[in-house]
Amino acid sequence: MSIDVSGLTKTFGDFVALDDVTVSLPTGQLTALLGPSGGGKSTLLRIIAGLDTADAGTVTIEGREATNLPARKRNVGFVFQHYAVFKHMSVAKNVAFGLEIRKRPRAEIDKRVAELLELVHLSQFRDRMPSQLSGGQRQRMALARALAVEPTVLLLDEPFGALDAKVRKELRDWLRRLHDEVHTTTIFVTHDQEEALEVADEIVVINDGRVEQVGSPDTLYDKPANDFVMRFLGETTDLAGQTVRPHDIDVSMSPGVAGSTPGTVTRILRVGFEVRVTVTTDDGAEALVTMTRTLARSTGVEEGAKVWLTAAKGATAVPVMRAV
Amino acid sequence: MASTSSTSVGSGSTVVTWVLRLVVVGYLFFLIGWPSALIVRRTFEGGTQAFTEALQDPDVTHALQLSVVVALCAVAINLLFGVGMSLLLVRYEFPGKRALSALIDLPLAVSPIVVGLALILVYNPRFGWFGESLDAHGIQIIFAKPGMVMATTFVALPLVIREVVPVLEDMGDDQEQAANSLGANAWQTFWRITLPGIKWAVVYGVVLSLARSLGEFGAVKVVAGNISGETTTAPVLVQQKYQNFEQQTAYAMSFLLVAAAVVCLVIVALLRPKDHKPSRATATAAIQEKAS
Ligand SMILES: Nc1ncnc2c1ncn2[C@@H]1O[C@H](COP(=O)(O)OP(=O)(O)OP(=O)(O)O)[C@@H](O)[C@H]1O
Ligand SMILES: [Mg+2]
Repeated sequence: MSIDVSGLTKTFGDFVALDDVTVSLPTGQLTALLGPSGGGKSTLLRIIAGLDTADAGTVTIEGREATNLPARKRNVGFVFQHYAVFKHMSVAKNVAFGLEIRKRPRAEIDKRVAELLELVHLSQFRDRMPSQLSGGQRQRMALARALAVEPTVLLLDEPFGALDAKVRKELRDWLRRLHDEVHTTTIFVTHDQEEALEVADEIVVINDGRVEQVGSPDTLYDKPANDFVMRFLGETTDLAGQTVRPHDIDVSMSPGVAGSTPGTVTRILRVGFEVRVTVTTDDGAEALVTMTRTLARSTGVEEGAKVWLTAAKGATAVPVMRAV
Repeated sequence: MASTSSTSVGSGSTVVTWVLRLVVVGYLFFLIGWPSALIVRRTFEGGTQAFTEALQDPDVTHALQLSVVVALCAVAINLLFGVGMSLLLVRYEFPGKRALSALIDLPLAVSPIVVGLALILVYNPRFGWFGESLDAHGIQIIFAKPGMVMATTFVALPLVIREVVPVLEDMGDDQEQAANSLGANAWQTFWRITLPGIKWAVVYGVVLSLARSLGEFGAVKVVAGNISGETTTAPVLVQQKYQNFEQQTAYAMSFLLVAAAVVCLVIVALLRPKDHKPSRATATAAIQEKAS
């Protein structure tokens, strides 16, 4: 186990930002810390990096007790949400910083910087100042800077948060490929579930300062521990006391199946290939069903039609625990 | 009609801008420009000869040397403590921080004469708090250079801090944390990251302090006493010469003081990169202090 966090508690005044968090993050993997805004993701990451101190609990990095180690001795690469580039240094100088601090020989520094700039596709920008780079380029530079010191772990706080959707997606794929190349244990924070599901080997869901669930993307999607995790990982709707995914509901025009929920179609919205059907059940609740255009046509769903809803066989469902 | 009304609105606002400009220019002219210009005119009324003669007066050269030494010492102290205090105020949380921050502005608010008197109360060799014991060890503060440096330092204290604090706040501690996580210790972080970030604010604060220190009169006059010209600084000598009807010498020295201040400010204006904005409040305060 690469990073072990145990019983971590952090309060700001009387606000509890982390509440007895215990989690193990595996070596060599790409782990996502996923959760809503204010959930405590950055706080956890900063404590692992030594940029903040916890009120209680321990941090162990690669078997080394690190709880009271200052940030500079943890050999952790940290990439900040807003890059934190050194504004007065050129791209190459930024990347070289950690190596110069470690007093490596000049030739070695130059070689390593050239390699890293190659890796992040910034070779032709080596003499530019950070202010002359685009957001995505700055982010890659920050990544190269963190990788330069060959960190035991690489921590990224919402690495793509400030970028537009297209660049985000490119960088996300690139991060995945990069990780497959360098294999540094990597933890990145995100509040975008799609990003986490697509890129990460392992996901830690954090909410209100607590770990809700740890698992692979498939585990989390297929076997959510509770309805919070289920809701957070994708669209959900409530049907007969259960939380299910809208595409996991079968619609029938006759009351064939036992336990099906009767209702009336109140609204149909077509978005590209998908049809979104709102059904008001007989007990007054609303359920959302999504299906393909083809299926909608063959079933004969239309506004005002009487329908019976059932959760599809094998659908992921958890009991409704709290009101939305 | 429509077009005339729209132009009249346009010219109306232009008139307002022009009136405002006129008011500002007039204000600056009567308060600063004209008096300074008159000093220059008086200095060179009789050609440059009177001016060079005045500068050969040994009193004058001594006073100028003393002023420069005292000002440089005060600036060096204010540079070290100013940067340190700014870091303390911006980067650390501690009880009494707001009180300290308010206290730093005190020298701008208090009359320099009072500062001088207060220093005498503390360090006077006969009845001061520390004075007696210091005197017993042969250290003289009041009526000597250390006291003058202290008075000048006190008066110019806020200038570096008030320049550096907003820039430090603006910069945030992201870059410093990044440096830490890359292995830099506190000193390396300060030297390689923080200092380059606040460089221009420090330069500006130093130059303002220098200009202010060279011109300090009240506080220095009180602590310097009048030991037969031994502790007379340039501004104090200006007053003495003026009262002794040696106006020409007084004007010549005034001119030098004004010129030094102007050179300082021009150098900074030239050095400063376009995007650095000094805090106007302290800049004007210092300049007006000088003008008064
Ligand atoms: N320095 C601080 N002082 C007081 N409260 C803080 C401080 N830092 C964080 N908090 C609080 O702790 C909670 C967790 O903050 P944190 O930054 O870890 O959230 P996050 O999960 O990273 O959210 P986001 O996705 O918005 O970045 C928030 O409610 C925040 O208000
Ligand atoms: Mg955050």
